[in-house]
Amino acid sequence: MFVARSISAEHKDLIHDVSYDFHGRRMATCSSDQTIKVWDLTDDGEWQCTASWKTHSGSVWKVTWAHPEFGQVLASCSFDRTAAVWEEVVGESLASTQRGQSHWVKRANLVDSRTSVTDVKFGPKHMGLQLATCSADGVVRIYEAPDVMNLSQWSLQHEINTKLSCSCLSWNPSRLHLPMLAVGSDDTNPSAGGKVQIYEYNDNIRKWQKVETLMAITDAVHHISFAPNLGRSYHLLAIATKDVRIITLRCLRKEPNAGANPGGMSKFEIRQAAQFDEHSSQVWRVSWNITGTVLASSGDDGCVRLWKANYLDNWKCISVLRGDGSVTNAGGSSTGGNQLGLTNTGGNFGGSRGFKQGGSGQSSMWY
Amino acid sequence: MVRCAMVCFHPTELHVLLSGSQDGTVKLFDLRKKESASTFHGRSESVRDVQFNPHSVIRDYYFSFASTHENGNVLLWDLRRPDKAERFFTAHSGPVFCCDFHPDDKSWLATAGRDKAIKVWEVVPYKQIQEVHCVQTIASVGRIKWRPQRRYHIASCSLLVDFSINIWDIRRPYIPFAAFEEHRDVTTGITWRQDPHIFLSCSKDCTVYQHVFRDAKRPADHANPMGLCFNVRGDISFAASEALGGGARGKGGSGMYASTRLPSFFRKNPDPTEQFRSVNSNLSVFTNRNQENPTAMDWFVKTAENYCLTGRPLSELCEHNAQVARQLGRHQIVQTWLMLKLIFAGLGAVSDKGVVTSPSLGRIVSLSTTGGQGDLLDRLSQHNETSTVTDMQEAKSAEPTGITKEKDPSEPGDAEPKSALPQPPATDNPAHADLTHVHGDFFFGDGEGGGGYNDYDSLPNMDHIQDWTLPGEAFQPRHEIIDRNPSPEELDRPDSPTSINESETVSLSNEKFLKGTVLTPTPTNPSFLDVRLLSPLVVDMLHHYAQQGDVQMTVSVMIVLGDHLKDQIEEQIQEHWLMSYVDMLGCFKLWMVATEIVKLSYLIGVPSVGTLNQNSTSIHSNCNHCSKPLTQKGWLCTRCQKLVNTCSVCHHVVKGLYVWCQGCSHGGHIHHIQEWLRTNQQCPAGCGHCCQYT
Repeated sequence: MFVARSISAEHKDLIHDVSYDFHGRRMATCSSDQTIKVWDLTDDGEWQCTASWKTHSGSVWKVTWAHPEFGQVLASCSFDRTAAVWEEVVGESLASTQRGQSHWVKRANLVDSRTSVTDVKFGPKHMGLQLATCSADGVVRIYEAPDVMNLSQWSLQHEINTKLSCSCLSWNPSRLHLPMLAVGSDDTNPSAGGKVQIYEYNDNIRKWQKVETLMAITDAVHHISFAPNLGRSYHLLAIATKDVRIITLRCLRKEPNAGANPGGMSKFEIRQAAQFDEHSSQVWRVSWNITGTVLASSGDDGCVRLWKANYLDNWKCISVLRGDGSVTNAGGSSTGGNQLGLTNTGGNFGGSRGFKQGGSGQSSMWY
Repeated sequence: MVRCAMVCFHPTELHVLLSGSQDGTVKLFDLRKKESASTFHGRSESVRDVQFNPHSVIRDYYFSFASTHENGNVLLWDLRRPDKAERFFTAHSGPVFCCDFHPDDKSWLATAGRDKAIKVWEVVPYKQIQEVHCVQTIASVGRIKWRPQRRYHIASCSLLVDFSINIWDIRRPYIPFAAFEEHRDVTTGITWRQDPHIFLSCSKDCTVYQHVFRDAKRPADHANPMGLCFNVRGDISFAASEALGGGARGKGGSGMYASTRLPSFFRKNPDPTEQFRSVNSNLSVFTNRNQENPTAMDWFVKTAENYCLTGRPLSELCEHNAQVARQLGRHQIVQTWLMLKLIFAGLGAVSDKGVVTSPSLGRIVSLSTTGGQGDLLDRLSQHNETSTVTDMQEAKSAEPTGITKEKDPSEPGDAEPKSALPQPPATDNPAHADLTHVHGDFFFGDGEGGGGYNDYDSLPNMDHIQDWTLPGEAFQPRHEIIDRNPSPEELDRPDSPTSINESETVSLSNEKFLKGTVLTPTPTNPSFLDVRLLSPLVVDMLHHYAQQGDVQMTVSVMIVLGDHLKDQIEEQIQEHWLMSYVDMLGCFKLWMVATEIVKLSYLIGVPSVGTLNQNSTSIHSNCNHCSKPLTQKGWLCTRCQKLVNTCSVCHHVVKGLYVWCQGCSHGGHIHHIQEWLRTNQQCPAGCGHCCQYT
């Protein structure tokens, strides 16, 4: 059973992003009030705000943690057309640490964008210290810190013009495959084509190339997220658009490294594993758990829904969490029946009676 | 000749013109005369903007105007007193580019400047001038204009960078209420057409636009109203706008904005456009420590800590790990370990020696299989209520039975495996019946081909989330086994197991199974079983677990089996699994386990991971006497010829764990240093450094 704990965030406007660090014991929130707050989990399980500082001169859209190997590093991006890299400084003033406050220093300000920077994400650790940003004018920029000890130097490595206003991006975390980025667009014009583009880094020509456009997704995309890949042969991509979608990307080339296919682009078999409109309106966020087996999504209905694939690879809702802390299980009541109709691809369920029994049995589990 | 920065007509006197110039003076002109009527010396830097008070119909304000200056000051003048400003205040850090009197509220004056801020000041006679609102924009603000008939709205355009015209609601100073992005260059001027819905703007792109409010973009509508994040432990952090259901506990934030300063006639007539909701988000964290929850990761930590991966015989490792999994209620994992033990430990011994000579090994086999049968029995009879407790009890109760049966080899029934499948009686020969079960699973998995191990798949669903598990389907594989695997019965006839001991029965039934499925005609050597035939299945199984996100199981099995799977999995994939697991262990701060995995991966032939332990393991330090960097190995400083690892507290040489401060290179026994720092902040060596141990 989920226990909800409300935290008085005291941001003065909307919170646009929350982000846990690698160990899940620190949390960063960013808001339109132009501040970032960092929260630490105390030993007695409470979240304590240990830093709050003004970061930008516009709404801060996203905040993200770097791998702790590079230090306590945050990146943020903002409506003010910049992205910034922040580092926590310890030990410089003993007084502040004793108050339980930590000090964050701006290490770099990335000012290349001409429009609002809508997303910022650190690349997977095995690629070194890389940072991707995307902006409302449709440009994805990839920066690299050549010296991981010097966070103030970032060189702009690549600029990809997606030709669509970008709203979100996600790195493919797999170390087994070529570097890959998915970029989502919040362009509302359905005739502008697919709103999710997949880019892959080609080692031979040292460029990012567009390998796929998901033509099935024509509505504005608010968030996308690759699932952690712990040895899966295919990639799972969750997309928050007017509904929740889960896409599998299976690389058709057998050899995973580029040497076998010099200069060529990877081909992918793209399948839609699931589509849910239970949020019944815009879906704003998707997030995977660490094993990439459970997906959380949140939408305009104010709920968080958890999705999991069963043994037949059918994705089902396993829980509904409301912002006020109440938890609803998916099996019971009307949503269950809804799911039966929507995602029952296995057939042969021996009548709905069996299913409902299963559902009610599950409800006792979930409470 | 000095450049004139701004001119302004009097709102009611058509011939009165005011001009501000860079020399810091403001001149008043009467258009009917050639000469300027009066000059105002502000003793400030150059003037950026001058504005008459628009409320000139009121006598008090008829003569008043404001000028803004390069140095951040705003001066309020009376036309009749050119020598000295009535009031002045510092509004901005940096030049104030513009100001605008509120069209309705006579006390409000808005100013904006290079510091990117728009500020609203309350100017009341004989009271201190106060800042009542502040809007932070993204670029230095060139022009501001209050929106007519909308008390809280102000339009702004910037001097640089930002080409758009933003309309702000000053009560929400972070996101523009509306934005107009038609201009392709910097906007230089804005003016409203008395109508709150229409305004004109001109720009350096050589265009003048008439904007209609209908065309406005509403940035707030596009702003993401929620944040959502999973952490490694399966907690979910969720921030949502109070307006979106997140506000069930809204703490008064969603109420209408009620201003006490609002004039009474405004309050009587609430204009819908004046309605304003303060926007806030609620932040909450959902935690879940229930084992049945698929997002909780406690099982991962416990498993990682308790698994035994090396240092003991294979069968013991499997048994130990199965036990660990059983304690956590992960029955599928238990089964896997037991099967692995059968395949690689039990049969390996058989094929090596022909006949099992060690009675202990035979006993282990039958013990484990009875345990397994306990599981199966449990599952078959009450498949919807798999609980760890009953399972354990069943396993325990079955154990002694297994031992007694082993001692009595005259009773193994030939036809029993088949009848045991739908409803295995507890008095059956456990080893025999169970082996058929176990291998039946394998057989079925193989027969299903791409479908994967359906039996595997169904188990975790019963264990962890008992939903959608449909009895009909769950049973289907077992029926198929009966249909498609008649081999035990047939093959039992030629070589009746009554003649041989129990351990051989084990190997025989396996061998029979193999003949039935893989069709390897080896009747001449009944005790032969080729592990190689099964290992592809095991490899498939590893892939399957990895696919399911349980890379822990994959890596653990890989390490335990070690050489048995040599060259059967691409090194790249092995590396991927190992690294993923090591990363995950890092997430949970299980450094010791991670180090062990890295060490073991060297042994199983993935040196690329194994060498991780050698990376960045050297620490550069200085001598704690003379601060000379220690370049050599060993503990002797080359300059002062002293041992450097002496404890600063007790002055003895530290053997074992040595801690030191990287700032001053002094350190010592960890408990001495801890004790010292409990009462002191400075270094025990007396060097005056405030040591920091992190």
